[in-house]
Amino acid sequence: MKGNLKDFSGTQILNLVSLAKRTGTLDVRRNGTQASLSFQDGKLIYAAMDDDDGSLASVLARDGRITREQASVLAKRARKIGDKQLGLLLIQKGYLTRADIIRSIKKHSAAIVKQFASWQEGAFAFDPGRLPGDDRITVPLDLENIIIEIARVQKRDEQLEEEIPSLDVSLRFVDRPTVKLQDLKLSRDEWRVMKYIKPENTIRMIANRLNMSDRQIRRVVGSLREAGLIELVRVRPRERLTPEQRKEKRAIVHRLIDRIQGIGVAE
Amino acid sequence: MQTKTVKVVVTGPFNAGKTEFVRAISEITPVLTERGISSEAERIKETTTVAMDFGRITVDDDLVLYLFGTPGQRRFDFMWEILAEGMLGFIVLVDSARPETFREALSILETFRAYAPTPYVVAANKQDLSDAWELDDLRIALRLDPDIKMLPCVAHDRESVKNVLLELLYSILEEIDLEEQSQ
Repeated sequence: MKGNLKDFSGTQILNLVSLAKRTGTLDVRRNGTQASLSFQDGKLIYAAMDDDDGSLASVLARDGRITREQASVLAKRARKIGDKQLGLLLIQKGYLTRADIIRSIKKHSAAIVKQFASWQEGAFAFDPGRLPGDDRITVPLDLENIIIEIARVQKRDEQLEEEIPSLDVSLRFVDRPTVKLQDLKLSRDEWRVMKYIKPENTIRMIANRLNMSDRQIRRVVGSLREAGLIELVRVRPRERLTPEQRKEKRAIVHRLIDRIQGIGVAE
Repeated sequence: MQTKTVKVVVTGPFNAGKTEFVRAISEITPVLTERGISSEAERIKETTTVAMDFGRITVDDDLVLYLFGTPGQRRFDFMWEILAEGMLGFIVLVDSARPETFREALSILETFRAYAPTPYVVAANKQDLSDAWELDDLRIALRLDPDIKMLPCVAHDRESVKNVLLELLYSILEEIDLEEQSQ
């Protein structure tokens, strides 16, 4: 099974693998990024994307259970004894429980698969039968709930594109927010966006400033709008005048000044 | 030769004095679109502008300045964007004696800035009243940057209105200069 996500979406592939209970590894390449998702009987058992290679050390670090420095030490250890042995060691030493490890791996796999599902294009190839090495920890993850969640998020993104068709509009705070401000809990991204809400800043300018994708900024703006905190204001771009137009405008303004200065003087 | 028309918009909250401002400087009796107030809460004057006030200053045969006063009540704000189109600049009138309207004034100011990034000045109207806020205090209340002109104003006094209009025109000239320097 080979193709491009432009023609066959990530959600469709996941659906197919899940329904057909396929076993193997799906490799996807997009703009220099590579994702690998391994499935057993239609269930996701392993996920890796570039630096997030799915190794136990990187998964635990990503989940905040260990620091990057600790992860680096553990990764060296894992190269000798493998992830499974390393996991056992961590459990035996009382640093983590089995449940902790399973939870972190599931979280990691779900995050990667969601990221993969958001890609609009990228060459993919499914290699039947190929699975991660025996030293890796695999945790079966049912795809159905993830697919439903991805579909829900995608639908919401589509709605947001309809609600905010252009990013060349600016934002303003509403006069009377519908939400009680003391009950308000904002995410880090929402706070970051709020900082730049000014009439002269378009959504696109804020996104560029904060290095956010169109989809990310739409989500943040969408949730702030939903909370009744902000509203959209259409912006007209600043008029760029040619030197001739500037000269003409200046002459007009001077004539207006002369006229207004004269009001009431000679009358 | 076709007469060239240019436009300045006078905006601000309800009862800030926009109609009076246009009336003070217009060479024609302004076309006023006032109606009786229906809301008890807003019955601090008998009538209010529902579409726009329209005044005119003729410079010569081929140049005319139109002054458009916006309706102050928020429910007529669909008119604002139409009025803002193609304006040379705008004036935000604030009733210096009614602090309860300052927030609304700021909101209107920001809306117009977004509609059209043209020069503007803020005119602190009713400075002749004893309970009028001082300009420095108003600037803080309205969170205005120091480079935004905040001018004293008494809208029924023509000289005062002239001064506000002239300051706006000077700001427009400054902006042309800045644009020229940046190229």
